[in-house]
Amino acid sequence: MLLEPIFWSLFSLGGFITAFLFPVTLFLLFFAAPFHLWPTDPAAYSTFVGHWKEPLVRLFFFVLIGGSLFHGTHRLKFMLMDAGFKGRSAEAFLDIIILNGVAIFGSLGALFYAVRGWLF
Amino acid sequence: MTGREYAWKRRPGWWLRNRRYLMFQLREAGGVVCALYGLVLLNMLIQLRAGESAYTAFLNLLRTPPVLYLNIVLFALVVWHALTWFMLIGKAQPIQFTRQPLPWKVVFGINVLLWLGVSGAVVYLIFGGI
Repeated sequence: MLLEPIFWSLFSLGGFITAFLFPVTLFLLFFAAPFHLWPTDPAAYSTFVGHWKEPLVRLFFFVLIGGSLFHGTHRLKFMLMDAGFKGRSAEAFLDIIILNGVAIFGSLGALFYAVRGWLF
Repeated sequence: MTGREYAWKRRPGWWLRNRRYLMFQLREAGGVVCALYGLVLLNMLIQLRAGESAYTAFLNLLRTPPVLYLNIVLFALVVWHALTWFMLIGKAQPIQFTRQPLPWKVVFGINVLLWLGVSGAVVYLIFGGI
């Protein structure tokens, strides 16, 4: 209950992040090259590993992954509640397993890979 | 002191009853898909760390026809989620620089322009330009 405003804030922040940054990122990584819509392949190993040396790129992916996880898992929680998965114990389970498990550990994982090879 | 719980009134499948509810639920699904893509990107970073062959194998898997076509559907949900997010900014939090609040369509237009600008910045700053 104490953490609820924090999760709602991260949900809202994640909404902004995913709305503004996700479409262009997904387009470049997953659709540009297979559909020949871009002169180069932005996701190719040699290209991507070159960009990955930049701290701004690492920060970008950390923010993108963290924001999307906090936004999406919070939405999933309320979609499941809407579908009938409700009650105090069910909500506690959703909070602990989905929000804490996926969003927090996923964000920490993204942070780890973002700083690994750069800071240590 | 505990608050009184609000009684649950919606029936299962309520969102199939009309087009507006369906569009709303598709938007909600788009938010969940964003988390799914967050996990895909996280795995991409893990494969990048593992080396070129692991990374390329993962990328090739994403580009096999069934996964690619599924990706198109999921991508459409992400774009719908983004567009409706820009729509709701003007509705949920009317921005008031003037005596009268700006119409939501104006706020939506400003957000779309901002979105295009931000996308251009991502192309150049993150992916090294065209």
